[in-house]
Amino acid sequence: MDFILSSLIFTPLLAALVVLLLPVHLQKPIKAVTLLGALVQMGLSILLYFRFDGSAFANGQQGYQFVEKLNWIGFSLGNLGRFQIDYFVGVDGVSISMVLLTGIVGVIGVISSWTITKNVKGYFLLYLLLLTSVMGCFLALDFFLFYLFFEFMLLPMYFLIGIWGGPKREYASIKFFIYTLVGSLFILLVMIGLYTSVIDPQATAMQMGLLEQGKAAGTEVLTQVQQMLQRNQISNYNLVRTFSIPAMMEPANFIPNSLLHVLSGTILWDLPLRFIAFLLLFAGFAIKVPSVPVHTWLPDAHVEAPTPISVLLAAILLKVGGYGLIRIVYPIFPDAGAYFAVLVGGLGVLSIIYGAMNALAMKDLKKLIAYSSVSHMGFVLLGLASLTVEGVNGAIYMMFSHGIISAMLFLVVGVIYDRAHDRMIHNFRGLANTMPAYTAFVVIAFFASLGMPGFSGFISELLVLVGGFGAPEATGLLPRWLTVVAVFGLLLSAAYYLWTLQRMFFGKFWIFPELREHASITDLNTREYLMLVPLAVLALLFGIFPHLLLDKISLTVNGFTEMVLLRGQEQLGLIFSTLK
Amino acid sequence: MNEQAVYLSDKLNAILAGAGSLLPELVLVLFFLLLVTLDLFKAKSIKRLLPWLALTGMFWVLVLQVLGGYTSGDEPFLNLLLSDGLARFGGILFSAAGIFTVLLSLQLKRLEKLQEGRGEFYALVLILVLGLNLMAKSVNLLMVFLAIETVSIASYILTLTFKTEKRAVEAGLKYVLYGALSAGVMLYGMSFFYGLTGTLNFSSENFVMGLLQADGLLVTVAAILILAGFFFKISAAPFHFWAPDVYQGAPMPVVALFSTGPKMAGILVILRFINNFTDATAFADVQLLLGVAAIATLVVGNFTALWQRTPRRLLAYSSVSHAGFLLTALLAFGTSYTSGVLFYLTVLLFMNFGIFLLLQVAEEKNGVQTLEDFSGLGRLQPYFGVMAILYLLSLTGLPPLAGFMGKLLIFSNVWEAYTLGGNNMLLVLLVTGILLTGVALFYYIKIPYYLFFKRNQSRENLVISPSEKLLLALFALPLLVLFFKPDLLLRWIEQLLAQTL
Repeated sequence: MDFILSSLIFTPLLAALVVLLLPVHLQKPIKAVTLLGALVQMGLSILLYFRFDGSAFANGQQGYQFVEKLNWIGFSLGNLGRFQIDYFVGVDGVSISMVLLTGIVGVIGVISSWTITKNVKGYFLLYLLLLTSVMGCFLALDFFLFYLFFEFMLLPMYFLIGIWGGPKREYASIKFFIYTLVGSLFILLVMIGLYTSVIDPQATAMQMGLLEQGKAAGTEVLTQVQQMLQRNQISNYNLVRTFSIPAMMEPANFIPNSLLHVLSGTILWDLPLRFIAFLLLFAGFAIKVPSVPVHTWLPDAHVEAPTPISVLLAAILLKVGGYGLIRIVYPIFPDAGAYFAVLVGGLGVLSIIYGAMNALAMKDLKKLIAYSSVSHMGFVLLGLASLTVEGVNGAIYMMFSHGIISAMLFLVVGVIYDRAHDRMIHNFRGLANTMPAYTAFVVIAFFASLGMPGFSGFISELLVLVGGFGAPEATGLLPRWLTVVAVFGLLLSAAYYLWTLQRMFFGKFWIFPELREHASITDLNTREYLMLVPLAVLALLFGIFPHLLLDKISLTVNGFTEMVLLRGQEQLGLIFSTLK
Repeated sequence: MNEQAVYLSDKLNAILAGAGSLLPELVLVLFFLLLVTLDLFKAKSIKRLLPWLALTGMFWVLVLQVLGGYTSGDEPFLNLLLSDGLARFGGILFSAAGIFTVLLSLQLKRLEKLQEGRGEFYALVLILVLGLNLMAKSVNLLMVFLAIETVSIASYILTLTFKTEKRAVEAGLKYVLYGALSAGVMLYGMSFFYGLTGTLNFSSENFVMGLLQADGLLVTVAAILILAGFFFKISAAPFHFWAPDVYQGAPMPVVALFSTGPKMAGILVILRFINNFTDATAFADVQLLLGVAAIATLVVGNFTALWQRTPRRLLAYSSVSHAGFLLTALLAFGTSYTSGVLFYLTVLLFMNFGIFLLLQVAEEKNGVQTLEDFSGLGRLQPYFGVMAILYLLSLTGLPPLAGFMGKLLIFSNVWEAYTLGGNNMLLVLLVTGILLTGVALFYYIKIPYYLFFKRNQSRENLVISPSEKLLLALFALPLLVLFFKPDLLLRWIEQLLAQTL
């Protein structure tokens, strides 16, 4: 067995332990250890990216590679069978992109944090914990494990915003915490429902004595167990309930009388219970995405968070929402995914337009960027809802590309804030004259974000829109006008970026008089180059050679869309047949 | 004459034969007597010995109950007390609670300096633990009453440890008044049950048979009356009004004990008692009543806690909300919910003693009275702050702490029961319970908020003694271990329960 995934998750935790043991005044070593931890994590993620075989779909555990599975918690529930939680991690095409992104942005964040002076030890400790939990989220294949990391992300973030943030940090951090916690409680509710409904066929086979302990089962045995399950031939005592996400994806693993079984016919408020479960999960992850109308925590959190934390929040943490939808919500509830496609796509388009309009109206540069994030994450929802191969590829590509570009955007905001202690758009003019290099990077970041061909943003928006336009024929899930409206989002984003460029950077140099005393407007320093250059290169690289990423993800996406569509239609038919 | 002699000798033989099953209680009584006697001596050296003597006694009982083997456990003693696995596990929790109480009070300088009643204090803790043990073992309504009253009387006096304080007197008086009222109501309910079934032994077949034959309305009314007494002990709504005042007025170790001991024992009594009401059709009203009480307790506890300004009151309402979760757990009929309940109780024990020790340290060393007084303490003393976060997150029920596991077990049992029976009330309970966790976070997080986000205004540094640090870590460790390996405890609970039930 290969422990690369565990090393990815636990390297920052190890570094955190070292930081914990270092005395408070040793600020340099603390920073160095953190940087080392992040660098190792990045190295491992790049190594994983190269070792990941994008053409080997059917290899091993349903297309997951580098799988590690250990029994973690196992417990007999008497007459209700067994209860099983595994340490189960693996990587597929969806997670590989997110792992790579986390590795890269993790290091950029440390470099950006170098100027932190307040309570250095606490800061880097929390930072490392955050890296561990995010990486764990992207690699977990057990719902419980996923939930553990998902929840554990909240706490470091709460303190990072609340202690090191701006003037309204306390309000912003508690808002972030409550929003995300309520979302995760929805997820918890469904998780409990799923785990009481789903069995692990392999472990059940062992429990029944059909299989020797510790041996992997062939497909015949698994099918036999699943058939016996559906015919109610397995006694309660032998059922092994599981949190395993791959097991939850198989409708044949649902216990016949359980409430979330396709044929259960349970109705709540005129909707099948499976649909309600889908909506709850969707709500939970939509808060994280964030999608309008549950996005209001994001601008606050972004504005108040220190620059590196904004970078992490926009680049990685938001991706957990979209990732959760792809990893958990759609594969487990494909029926509801097909049924609610217009809702999800509609919310996506709403986010695109509403986010962009808000960005247009913002006076604070950071808030503008925050709303542009809302707008761009709308594309993820739209691409996903279309359930076309292009759309889903585009959604994943958008998550990756937005991770790179938004990191850059927040860094450039940080640069001006460091110098002037202000970031109001109307307080600056003609910055290009005094900060030419800075302006160059701002232009690159803005153009990459608004979808200029040659940058990664273009590829992702193109894929999503192609998917959206093709959806009426390919899947019949989305009406075409929805995508047509989404296109206006591109126009709007061009408008707010170009207008900002014009207002802040062009013309004669001028800054607001009151800022002049404290401001020293100098161009970029080495540290800032060190962060911005790699990101700009990556944005270009993945814009010009999209196959670098698409080769790794497309097979998984093909399998995903095929399975979700096929099962979705089939199960929708079954669900409605039980209702009649 | 002769008949009576035979009867007497039979009785005596039964007592002698069954006495073995009461070994833990006998040890407690022995040490109680020893403590009371030694307290009469004025010598300082003896006085200093008293807490350690109490500790020894309870530790002995703890070891006895962990090892087991002192009883076969299948025959109730005089049809009053059943020493089964449930009672044994309860006993372990109670002894631990007693030991923790003494350990906490050893850290409390004010109590150590107390001239009068210091010996009594420890003796009363022993008696309280004895009462708790009896509660857990009772299978007879009259015995339940006696055990609850033993606990109550000890509690009233313990609340009044600092007799000179106005607040303590107020708390003690309120406690006695509410206690007396609920005891009366409970006794009234018991008399109904005796009339309806002809037996006080509520674990016997006759009891259930009698209930099934009796008029449904009468059974419901009787159940309401008797549950009032039980709810008082676990501070469930609407019998929770004493809790905030007592928590505000009593010494901290006693508050910690109240928030765990009687609650645990009360839950065990209810658990045994409502085993008679599992029939969903005959006792739909009783189950509905319990469900409504659970929801009310959850809502009242969590929402009232939001408005509290002092940490003690906040924790009082938090303790009410935990009673709500435990009641929820008891309603998962048809599933093996007992182990989940016992797991939750164990977790509750460590969380509550941890957080109250923390509060005691803050109060003693830094005069923390309101939530605002916590300002900046976490930054001054990171160890204190981190421990606070740990306990509060566990109380909220967030991973990676055992509080989350406890709630997960409860909620999955409730979902399972809903799947089995389709009782919509369970779904409402489940959703209420889960969503209120979000509300709970909102008030629990206030403490870390002040600890870390607010600046302290010229406050002398908080000093925590090594023994306090050690204790804080001791209470925190199980919370982490039980999250990552809950099966260790669950397996043991299952083993104990499998012995006799």
